[in-house]
Amino acid sequence: MDPKNFDHILLFKTNITLEMANQSLCSLLNNNTAINSWTVDHEDIDRVLRIVSYTLSHAEIIQLLTSHGYECCELT
Amino acid sequence: MRLRDTEKVQLVKQKAIELIVKDGLEGFSMNKLAKACQISVATLYIYYKDRDDLIVKITIEELESMTKGIMKDFNPEMSFEQGLHKQWENRYAFAKEKPQMNLFFDQLRSSSYQQTLLSDAISEFKMMMGKFMTNAIERGEIEKMPLDVYWSIAFSPLYNLIRLDQEGKSLDGSPFKVTDAVLWKTFDLVVKALKK
Repeated sequence: MDPKNFDHILLFKTNITLEMANQSLCSLLNNNTAINSWTVDHEDIDRVLRIVSYTLSHAEIIQLLTSHGYECCELT
Repeated sequence: MRLRDTEKVQLVKQKAIELIVKDGLEGFSMNKLAKACQISVATLYIYYKDRDDLIVKITIEELESMTKGIMKDFNPEMSFEQGLHKQWENRYAFAKEKPQMNLFFDQLRSSSYQQTLLSDAISEFKMMMGKFMTNAIERGEIEKMPLDVYWSIAFSPLYNLIRLDQEGKSLDGSPFKVTDAVLWKTFDLVVKALKK
């Protein structure tokens, strides 16, 4: 990994609460082979979703999440 | 492309410690930290997975830096008085250099991060400290006693002086500063108390 390049870390503001981070969300993200790892910061007001992926774009993740009923936009 | 900036990482660490000392852990959030550093919240999440990850990583780094400072030029084979003198010197110097760190560790000690403070990061340090005491007991320099009793007598007076110095006030309210004379007089009394 190029230590200077962080383009593979994708960050989003979401509405994912602890209760919502359930089986379906886990399997949605876990089963996506393009996603290396992911975490949600439940202690943060923006419920920041952090995705490590070398191939997916912000738009593709937003599309994936919103089509499953989650609110999701890029964290800037 | 975003560039990692070591100065920025340093700033994040320093501000996080400042904020936690000032507002406590409950008042600490990624948003507040980003504002204090004048960077975007997203930048914080590049470096750290979440708030918890940030607190744990900073704590472990600071513990490592503290133990490195305390161990400087010290080894557990030193004679009791010489070794303890070096410990006092190093601990006092560290408190002077980073006056907020003891307050920061105090915040964590009374929180769910207490376990982090006992991490593997300091296991070698604790081993060396224990060995130093055991050596002194085996050489017949000090009484046999449990490590906690030894620690309380050996270092609590030092940390209390440091606290009074940081508060700048003596017990009667008059201004107070730790001088070399005060520091080493206290040290002599501690040695006297511990030595056989």
